Amino acid sequence: MLRSRPDRTTTLFITLVVFSFMLTTYDVQTAQVGSFGSALRTGAEFVFSPVQKAASAVTRPVVGFLDGVANLASLRDENDQLRDQVASLEQELADTESLRAELDALQRLNNIVGPAGIDTVTARIFAVAPSGFDHVRGIDRGSSDGIGVGMPVVDESGLIGRVDAVFADSARVRLITDPTVRVGVRVLRTNETGWVSGRGSGPLVLEMFEATQAVAEGDRVVTEGGRFPAGLIVGTVNEGARSDAGFALRTTVDTIVVFSRLDFVNVLITTSEDELTDVPGDDGPPVLDEAPPQGSP
Amino acid sequence: MTTGRMLGALLLVVGAVILQTTLFVSTRPFGAAPDLIVLAVFGLLRFMPAEPGIFLGFTGGLLADLLGGSPLGMWALSLTVVAYLVIRLRDRAQDSYGLAIVGVFAFTFVAQSLYVLLGTLFGQQPLKDPGVARIVILTALFTAVLAMAVLPVGSWLARETRGRRSRVLV
Repeated sequence: MLRSRPDRTTTLFITLVVFSFMLTTYDVQTAQVGSFGSALRTGAEFVFSPVQKAASAVTRPVVGFLDGVANLASLRDENDQLRDQVASLEQELADTESLRAELDALQRLNNIVGPAGIDTVTARIFAVAPSGFDHVRGIDRGSSDGIGVGMPVVDESGLIGRVDAVFADSARVRLITDPTVRVGVRVLRTNETGWVSGRGSGPLVLEMFEATQAVAEGDRVVTEGGRFPAGLIVGTVNEGARSDAGFALRTTVDTIVVFSRLDFVNVLITTSEDELTDVPGDDGPPVLDEAPPQGSP
Repeated sequence: MTTGRMLGALLLVVGAVILQTTLFVSTRPFGAAPDLIVLAVFGLLRFMPAEPGIFLGFTGGLLADLLGGSPLGMWALSLTVVAYLVIRLRDRAQDSYGLAIVGVFAFTFVAQSLYVLLGTLFGQQPLKDPGVARIVILTALFTAVLAMAVLPVGSWLARETRGRRSRVLV
Protein backbone atom coordinates (compact mmCIF):
# COMPACT_ATOMS: atom_id res chain seq x y z
CA MET A 1 0.00 0.00 0.00
CA LEU A 2 1.32 3.43 -0.96
CA ARG A 3 1.58 6.08 1.70
CA SER A 4 1.85 9.74 0.79
CA ARG A 5 4.89 11.30 2.46
CA PRO A 6 4.64 14.86 3.77
CA ASP A 7 6.30 17.42 1.53
CA ARG A 8 9.33 19.45 2.64
CA THR A 9 7.23 22.38 3.86
CA THR A 10 5.13 20.15 6.10
CA THR A 11 8.21 18.35 7.39
CA LEU A 12 9.84 21.67 8.28
CA PHE A 13 6.61 22.85 9.90
CA ILE A 14 6.33 19.73 12.06
CA THR A 15 10.01 19.97 13.02
CA LEU A 16 9.69 23.60 14.12
CA VAL A 17 6.46 22.96 16.01
CA VAL A 18 8.03 20.03 17.90
CA PHE A 19 11.16 22.10 18.55
CA SER A 20 9.11 25.04 19.87
CA PHE A 21 7.10 22.76 22.12
CA MET A 22 10.26 21.17 23.53
CA LEU A 23 11.84 24.60 23.98
CA THR A 24 8.84 25.84 25.96
CA THR A 25 8.84 22.71 28.13
CA TYR A 26 12.57 23.07 28.77
CA ASP A 27 12.28 26.79 29.54
CA VAL A 28 9.42 26.28 31.98
CA GLN A 29 11.32 23.45 33.71
CA THR A 30 14.58 25.40 33.99
CA ALA A 31 13.24 28.88 34.74
CA GLN A 32 16.25 30.09 36.67
CA VAL A 33 19.28 32.31 36.32
CA GLY A 34 22.08 30.64 34.40
CA SER A 35 19.86 28.41 32.28
CA PHE A 36 20.03 28.24 28.50
CA GLY A 37 16.86 30.35 28.21
CA SER A 38 18.32 32.96 30.53
CA ALA A 39 21.48 33.17 28.42
CA LEU A 40 19.42 33.58 25.25
CA ARG A 41 17.35 36.34 26.85
CA THR A 42 20.43 38.14 28.10
CA GLY A 43 21.89 38.02 24.60
CA ALA A 44 18.66 39.30 23.04
CA GLU A 45 18.41 42.09 25.61
CA PHE A 46 22.03 43.07 24.96
CA VAL A 47 21.36 43.38 21.24
CA PHE A 48 17.82 44.73 21.17
CA SER A 49 17.45 46.75 24.37
CA PRO A 50 19.31 49.80 22.93
CA VAL A 51 17.15 49.55 19.80
CA GLN A 52 14.00 49.35 21.93
CA LYS A 53 15.08 52.35 24.00
CA ALA A 54 15.76 54.33 20.83
CA ALA A 55 12.44 53.26 19.32
CA SER A 56 10.65 54.22 22.53
CA ALA A 57 12.34 57.63 22.55
CA VAL A 58 11.34 58.16 18.93
CA THR A 59 7.74 56.99 19.20
CA ARG A 60 6.90 59.05 22.31
CA PRO A 61 7.18 62.41 20.52
CA VAL A 62 5.49 60.93 17.44
CA VAL A 63 2.42 60.10 19.52
CA GLY A 64 2.56 63.62 20.97
CA PHE A 65 2.90 65.06 17.49
CA LEU A 66 -0.13 63.11 16.26
CA ASP A 67 -2.11 64.53 19.16
CA GLY A 68 -0.97 67.98 18.11
CA VAL A 69 -2.08 67.31 14.53
CA ALA A 70 -5.47 66.15 15.78
CA ASN A 71 -5.85 69.41 17.70
CA LEU A 72 -4.98 71.42 14.62
CA ALA A 73 -7.92 69.97 12.71
CA SER A 74 -10.30 72.32 14.51
CA LEU A 75 -8.39 75.36 13.22
CA ARG A 76 -8.88 74.71 9.50
CA ASP A 77 -11.23 77.68 9.06
CA GLU A 78 -8.69 80.17 10.34
CA ASN A 79 -6.61 82.19 7.87
CA ASP A 80 -3.16 80.89 6.90
CA GLN A 81 -1.18 83.22 9.09
CA LEU A 82 -3.24 82.56 12.20
CA ARG A 83 -3.26 78.86 11.46
CA ASP A 84 0.53 78.76 11.34
CA GLN A 85 0.74 80.77 14.55
CA VAL A 86 -1.77 78.56 16.34
CA ALA A 87 -0.08 75.43 15.06
CA SER A 88 3.23 76.62 16.38
CA LEU A 89 1.76 77.65 19.73
CA GLU A 90 -0.23 74.43 20.05
CA GLN A 91 2.83 72.37 19.42
CA GLU A 92 4.83 74.35 21.96
CA LEU A 93 2.02 74.06 24.49
CA ALA A 94 1.74 70.32 23.93
CA ASP A 95 5.47 69.97 24.42
CA THR A 96 5.38 72.09 27.58
CA GLU A 97 2.40 70.18 29.00
CA SER A 98 4.12 66.93 28.26
CA LEU A 99 7.31 68.12 29.97
CA ARG A 100 5.34 69.47 32.94
CA ALA A 101 3.51 66.16 33.38
CA GLU A 102 6.82 64.33 33.17
CA LEU A 103 8.36 66.70 35.73
CA ASP A 104 5.37 66.31 38.09
CA ALA A 105 5.63 62.53 37.85
CA LEU A 106 9.33 62.61 38.61
CA GLN A 107 8.86 65.05 41.50
CA ARG A 108 6.12 62.89 43.01
CA LEU A 109 8.32 59.83 42.69
CA ASN A 110 11.31 61.53 44.26
CA ASN A 111 9.21 62.62 47.23
CA ILE A 112 8.40 59.04 48.07
CA VAL A 113 10.16 57.80 51.14
CA GLY A 114 10.85 54.11 50.72
CA PRO A 115 9.48 51.83 53.44
CA ALA A 116 11.80 51.75 56.44
CA GLY A 117 14.33 53.91 54.66
CA ILE A 118 14.86 51.50 51.76
CA ASP A 119 16.86 53.04 48.92
CA THR A 120 15.07 53.45 45.61
CA VAL A 121 16.10 53.69 41.98
CA THR A 122 13.86 55.63 39.61
CA ALA A 123 13.43 54.02 36.19
CA ARG A 124 11.42 54.68 33.09
CA ILE A 125 9.28 52.12 31.30
CA PHE A 126 10.39 51.64 27.71
CA ALA A 127 9.01 48.27 26.68
CA VAL A 128 5.94 46.12 27.02
CA ALA A 129 5.19 42.47 26.23
CA PRO A 130 4.05 41.69 22.68
CA SER A 131 0.62 40.46 23.78
CA GLY A 132 -2.07 41.61 26.17
CA PHE A 133 -1.69 38.37 28.11
CA ASP A 134 1.85 38.95 29.40
CA HIS A 135 1.76 41.49 32.20
CA VAL A 136 5.36 42.65 32.18
CA ARG A 137 7.14 45.95 31.52
CA GLY A 138 10.73 46.70 30.55
CA ILE A 139 12.50 49.40 32.57
CA ASP A 140 15.64 51.29 31.59
CA ARG A 141 17.70 50.48 34.70
CA GLY A 142 19.46 47.20 35.39
CA SER A 143 22.07 45.44 37.48
CA SER A 144 24.56 48.28 36.91
CA ASP A 145 22.18 50.51 38.93
CA GLY A 146 21.90 48.01 41.76
CA ILE A 147 18.67 46.37 40.66
CA GLY A 148 18.28 42.66 41.35
CA VAL A 149 15.73 39.91 40.79
CA GLY A 150 12.84 39.98 43.27
CA MET A 151 13.01 43.67 44.14
CA PRO A 152 9.60 45.35 44.61
CA VAL A 153 8.57 48.06 42.16
CA VAL A 154 6.26 50.91 43.19
CA ASP A 155 5.07 54.29 42.00
CA GLU A 156 3.58 57.19 43.94
CA SER A 157 0.25 55.30 44.21
CA GLY A 158 1.40 51.91 45.43
CA LEU A 159 2.71 48.48 44.50
CA ILE A 160 3.27 47.74 40.82
CA GLY A 161 5.07 44.39 40.83
CA ARG A 162 8.51 42.90 41.24
CA VAL A 163 11.60 42.56 39.12
CA ASP A 164 11.75 39.09 37.58
CA ALA A 165 14.68 39.40 35.17
CA VAL A 166 17.68 41.71 35.27
CA PHE A 167 20.17 42.62 32.56
CA ALA A 168 23.08 45.06 32.63
CA ASP A 169 21.14 48.22 31.68
CA SER A 170 17.53 47.08 31.78
CA ALA A 171 15.20 44.87 33.74
CA ARG A 172 11.82 43.23 33.41
CA VAL A 173 9.04 43.89 35.92
CA ARG A 174 6.20 41.39 36.39
CA LEU A 175 3.05 43.29 37.37
CA ILE A 176 0.81 42.23 40.25
CA THR A 177 -1.98 41.82 37.67
CA ASP A 178 -0.15 38.82 36.16
CA PRO A 179 -2.12 35.61 36.85
CA THR A 180 1.04 33.87 38.11
CA VAL A 181 1.63 36.48 40.83
CA ARG A 182 0.33 36.25 44.39
CA VAL A 183 0.93 38.85 47.06
CA GLY A 184 0.47 38.43 50.80
CA VAL A 185 -1.79 41.26 52.00
CA ARG A 186 -3.54 42.71 55.03
CA VAL A 187 -6.86 44.55 55.11
CA LEU A 188 -6.07 47.74 57.03
CA ARG A 189 -9.46 48.14 58.76
CA THR A 190 -9.78 44.58 60.05
CA ASN A 191 -6.03 43.88 60.31
CA GLU A 192 -6.63 40.37 58.94
CA THR A 193 -4.45 38.77 56.33
CA GLY A 194 -4.90 36.92 53.06
CA TRP A 195 -3.51 37.14 49.59
CA VAL A 196 -4.37 38.70 46.29
CA SER A 197 -3.67 37.13 42.92
CA GLY A 198 -3.66 38.72 39.48
CA ARG A 199 -6.32 38.16 36.85
CA GLY A 200 -4.86 40.03 33.89
CA SER A 201 -7.14 42.84 32.81
CA GLY A 202 -9.65 42.14 35.58
CA PRO A 203 -9.46 43.23 39.24
CA LEU A 204 -7.25 41.26 41.66
CA VAL A 205 -8.81 38.40 43.61
CA LEU A 206 -8.59 38.62 47.41
CA GLU A 207 -8.73 35.36 49.33
CA MET A 208 -8.71 35.20 53.14
CA PHE A 209 -8.76 31.78 54.74
CA GLU A 210 -9.02 32.72 58.39
CA ALA A 211 -11.09 35.88 58.24
CA THR A 212 -13.34 36.45 61.21
CA GLN A 213 -14.66 39.84 60.07
CA ALA A 214 -16.33 40.93 56.86
CA VAL A 215 -14.55 43.24 54.46
CA ALA A 216 -16.38 46.27 53.11
CA GLU A 217 -16.25 48.08 49.80
CA GLY A 218 -13.45 50.65 49.87
CA ASP A 219 -11.37 48.87 52.53
CA ARG A 220 -7.71 49.52 51.83
CA VAL A 221 -5.47 46.51 51.19
CA VAL A 222 -1.71 46.70 51.82
CA THR A 223 1.19 44.27 51.59
CA GLU A 224 1.65 42.12 54.65
CA GLY A 225 5.38 41.53 54.47
CA GLY A 226 7.31 38.57 53.15
CA ARG A 227 8.64 39.15 49.67
CA PHE A 228 7.28 42.69 49.60
CA PRO A 229 7.93 45.21 52.38
CA ALA A 230 4.89 45.58 54.65
CA GLY A 231 2.55 48.51 54.18
CA LEU A 232 2.71 49.12 50.43
CA ILE A 233 -0.73 50.01 49.10
CA VAL A 234 -2.12 47.34 46.76
CA GLY A 235 -5.69 48.51 46.22
CA THR A 236 -9.18 48.84 47.64
CA VAL A 237 -11.86 46.19 48.11
CA ASN A 238 -14.27 46.31 45.21
CA GLU A 239 -17.19 44.55 46.82
CA GLY A 240 -17.95 43.78 50.48
CA ALA A 241 -17.84 40.10 51.50
CA ARG A 242 -17.81 37.82 54.52
CA SER A 243 -16.69 34.25 54.96
CA ASP A 244 -19.22 31.53 55.67
CA ALA A 245 -18.23 28.88 58.19
CA GLY A 246 -15.58 26.62 56.73
CA PHE A 247 -15.14 28.66 53.57
CA ALA A 248 -12.60 31.27 52.58
CA LEU A 249 -13.58 34.89 52.14
CA ARG A 250 -13.27 35.73 48.48
CA THR A 251 -13.79 39.07 46.77
CA THR A 252 -12.12 41.40 44.29
CA VAL A 253 -9.71 44.30 44.77
CA ASP A 254 -9.24 47.26 42.44
CA THR A 255 -5.61 48.25 42.08
CA ILE A 256 -4.65 51.79 43.04
CA VAL A 257 -2.08 51.97 40.25
CA VAL A 258 -3.35 52.71 36.74
CA PHE A 259 -1.12 50.32 34.82
CA SER A 260 -1.93 51.74 31.40
CA ARG A 261 -0.51 55.13 32.44
CA LEU A 262 2.75 53.98 33.97
CA ASP A 263 5.77 55.97 32.87
CA PHE A 264 8.27 56.34 35.73
CA VAL A 265 8.56 53.79 38.54
CA ASN A 266 10.67 53.28 41.66
CA VAL A 267 12.54 50.06 42.36
CA LEU A 268 13.05 49.37 46.07
CA ILE A 269 16.61 48.19 46.54
CA THR A 270 15.97 45.27 48.83
CA THR A 271 16.09 41.52 48.42
CA SER A 272 13.35 39.02 49.11
CA GLU A 273 15.69 37.06 51.41
CA ASP A 274 16.09 40.14 53.63
CA GLU A 275 12.35 40.63 53.71
CA LEU A 276 11.62 36.99 54.47
CA THR A 277 13.77 37.10 57.57
CA ASP A 278 12.09 40.32 58.70
CA VAL A 279 8.50 39.10 58.76
CA PRO A 280 7.25 40.05 62.23
CA GLY A 281 5.70 37.22 64.18
CA ASP A 282 6.33 34.70 61.44
CA ASP A 283 7.28 31.57 63.29
CA GLY A 284 6.48 29.14 60.53
CA PRO A 285 8.17 28.57 57.22
CA PRO A 286 8.39 31.60 54.91
CA VAL A 287 5.17 32.21 53.01
CA LEU A 288 5.58 32.10 49.25
CA ASP A 289 3.97 35.35 48.20
CA GLU A 290 4.43 34.77 44.57
CA ALA A 291 4.17 31.72 42.41
CA PRO A 292 7.53 30.98 40.78
CA PRO A 293 7.75 33.06 37.58
CA GLN A 294 7.29 30.85 34.58
CA GLY A 295 9.76 31.35 31.81
CA SER A 296 11.80 33.83 33.73
CA PRO A 297 15.51 33.32 33.83
CA MET B 1 14.69 33.94 -3.08
CA THR B 2 17.88 35.94 -2.79
CA THR B 3 19.76 36.34 0.46
CA GLY B 4 19.23 40.10 0.30
CA ARG B 5 15.46 39.76 0.06
CA MET B 6 15.43 37.22 2.88
CA LEU B 7 17.47 39.59 5.04
CA GLY B 8 15.12 42.43 4.16
CA ALA B 9 12.12 40.33 5.18
CA LEU B 10 13.86 39.36 8.42
CA LEU B 11 14.62 43.01 9.19
CA LEU B 12 10.97 43.91 8.65
CA VAL B 13 9.86 41.25 11.11
CA VAL B 14 12.48 42.35 13.65
CA GLY B 15 11.26 45.93 13.19
CA ALA B 16 7.69 44.76 13.79
CA VAL B 17 8.73 43.03 17.04
CA ILE B 18 10.60 46.15 18.23
CA LEU B 19 7.61 48.37 17.45
CA GLN B 20 5.22 45.89 19.05
CA THR B 21 7.18 46.00 22.30
CA THR B 22 7.65 49.78 22.43
CA LEU B 23 4.75 51.49 20.66
CA PHE B 24 1.97 50.16 22.87
CA VAL B 25 3.42 50.81 26.34
CA SER B 26 0.59 53.20 27.21
CA THR B 27 -1.67 52.84 24.17
CA ARG B 28 -3.89 49.79 24.56
CA PRO B 29 -7.52 50.69 23.97
CA PHE B 30 -9.70 48.27 25.99
CA GLY B 31 -6.55 46.29 26.86
CA ALA B 32 -5.68 45.33 23.27
CA ALA B 33 -3.32 46.53 20.56
CA PRO B 34 -2.76 45.51 16.94
CA ASP B 35 -0.47 42.52 16.45
CA LEU B 36 2.23 43.99 14.20
CA ILE B 37 4.20 40.74 14.14
CA VAL B 38 1.35 38.68 12.69
CA LEU B 39 0.65 41.50 10.25
CA ALA B 40 4.29 41.60 9.09
CA VAL B 41 4.49 37.80 8.75
CA PHE B 42 1.21 37.67 6.86
CA GLY B 43 2.16 40.52 4.53
CA LEU B 44 5.56 39.02 3.72
CA LEU B 45 4.35 35.44 3.30
CA ARG B 46 2.06 36.44 0.46
CA PHE B 47 5.19 36.95 -1.65
CA MET B 48 7.70 34.51 -0.15
CA PRO B 49 8.61 30.88 -0.87
CA ALA B 50 7.25 28.34 1.60
CA GLU B 51 10.30 27.18 3.59
CA PRO B 52 11.88 30.61 4.21
CA GLY B 53 8.39 31.85 5.05
CA ILE B 54 7.93 29.27 7.81
CA PHE B 55 11.39 30.08 9.17
CA LEU B 56 10.44 33.75 9.16
CA GLY B 57 7.32 33.08 11.25
CA PHE B 58 9.32 30.96 13.68
CA THR B 59 12.10 33.57 13.99
CA GLY B 60 9.65 36.43 14.56
CA GLY B 61 7.89 34.40 17.23
CA LEU B 62 11.12 33.43 18.95
CA LEU B 63 12.22 37.06 19.09
CA ALA B 64 8.84 38.01 20.56
CA ASP B 65 9.38 35.31 23.20
CA LEU B 66 12.87 36.60 23.97
CA LEU B 67 11.77 40.22 24.38
CA GLY B 68 8.49 39.40 26.15
CA GLY B 69 7.78 37.73 29.42
CA SER B 70 6.47 34.36 28.25
CA PRO B 71 8.34 31.03 28.21
CA LEU B 72 10.51 30.63 25.11
CA GLY B 73 8.79 28.91 22.22
CA MET B 74 5.17 29.93 22.85
CA TRP B 75 5.06 32.74 20.30
CA ALA B 76 7.45 30.79 18.06
CA LEU B 77 4.99 27.89 17.92
CA SER B 78 1.96 30.15 17.40
CA LEU B 79 3.57 32.08 14.55
CA THR B 80 4.96 28.94 12.93
CA VAL B 81 1.42 27.59 12.77
CA VAL B 82 0.15 30.89 11.35
CA ALA B 83 2.93 30.92 8.74
CA TYR B 84 2.11 27.36 7.70
CA LEU B 85 -1.60 28.12 7.42
CA VAL B 86 -0.92 31.25 5.32
CA ILE B 87 1.32 29.25 2.98
CA ARG B 88 -1.18 26.40 2.64
CA LEU B 89 -4.14 28.67 2.03
CA ARG B 90 -2.60 31.38 -0.12
CA ASP B 91 -2.56 29.28 -3.29
CA ARG B 92 -6.11 28.08 -2.84
CA ALA B 93 -7.67 31.50 -2.59
CA GLN B 94 -7.67 34.32 -5.08
CA ASP B 95 -5.49 37.16 -3.82
CA SER B 96 -7.82 40.07 -3.16
CA TYR B 97 -7.80 43.05 -0.83
CA GLY B 98 -10.98 42.05 1.01
CA LEU B 99 -9.88 38.48 1.48
CA ALA B 100 -6.48 39.63 2.77
CA ILE B 101 -8.15 41.75 5.46
CA VAL B 102 -10.35 38.84 6.49
CA GLY B 103 -7.22 36.67 6.48
CA VAL B 104 -5.38 39.07 8.80
CA PHE B 105 -8.32 39.01 11.21
CA ALA B 106 -8.53 35.21 11.13
CA PHE B 107 -4.79 34.55 11.46
CA THR B 108 -4.41 37.06 14.30
CA PHE B 109 -7.31 35.35 16.03
CA VAL B 110 -5.64 31.96 15.51
CA ALA B 111 -2.26 33.22 16.79
CA GLN B 112 -3.78 34.80 19.92
CA SER B 113 -6.01 31.82 20.64
CA LEU B 114 -3.15 29.38 20.22
CA TYR B 115 -1.03 31.51 22.55
CA VAL B 116 -3.78 31.44 25.19
CA LEU B 117 -4.07 27.66 24.78
CA LEU B 118 -0.32 27.16 25.15
CA GLY B 119 -0.22 29.58 28.08
CA THR B 120 -2.87 27.51 29.83
CA LEU B 121 -0.97 24.31 29.06
CA PHE B 122 2.28 25.74 30.44
CA GLY B 123 0.88 27.28 33.62
CA GLN B 124 0.66 30.94 32.60
CA GLN B 125 -3.05 30.96 33.45
CA PRO B 126 -4.24 33.44 30.81
CA LEU B 127 -7.77 32.07 31.17
CA LYS B 128 -7.93 33.62 34.66
CA ASP B 129 -8.26 36.93 32.83
CA PRO B 130 -11.99 37.71 32.57
CA GLY B 131 -11.28 39.79 29.46
CA VAL B 132 -9.52 37.05 27.50
CA ALA B 133 -12.15 36.82 24.73
CA ARG B 134 -12.31 40.61 24.44
CA ILE B 135 -8.53 40.88 24.12
CA VAL B 136 -8.31 38.14 21.46
CA ILE B 137 -11.15 39.57 19.35
CA LEU B 138 -10.09 43.22 19.70
CA THR B 139 -6.47 42.39 18.86
CA ALA B 140 -7.64 40.64 15.68
CA LEU B 141 -9.96 43.55 14.88
CA PHE B 142 -7.32 46.26 15.43
CA THR B 143 -4.82 44.30 13.32
CA ALA B 144 -7.36 43.97 10.50
CA VAL B 145 -8.08 47.72 10.62
CA LEU B 146 -4.37 48.49 10.49
CA ALA B 147 -3.98 46.01 7.63
CA MET B 148 -6.45 48.06 5.56
CA ALA B 149 -3.86 50.84 5.45
CA VAL B 150 -0.66 48.80 5.48
CA LEU B 151 -1.33 45.93 3.05
CA PRO B 152 -1.90 48.07 -0.09
CA VAL B 153 1.42 49.83 0.56
CA GLY B 154 3.14 46.47 1.11
CA SER B 155 1.65 45.01 -2.07
CA TRP B 156 2.72 48.08 -4.07
CA LEU B 157 6.26 47.83 -2.68
CA ALA B 158 6.40 44.10 -3.50
CA ARG B 159 5.23 44.76 -7.08
CA GLU B 160 7.73 47.59 -7.48
CA THR B 161 10.69 45.53 -6.27
CA ARG B 162 9.64 42.59 -8.44
CA GLY B 163 9.19 44.87 -11.48
CA ARG B 164 12.57 46.51 -10.92
CA ARG B 165 14.23 43.11 -10.63
CA SER B 166 12.59 41.82 -13.85
CA ARG B 167 13.56 45.04 -15.64
CA VAL B 168 17.15 44.50 -14.53
CA LEU B 169 17.01 40.91 -15.75
CA VAL B 170 15.65 42.01 -19.14
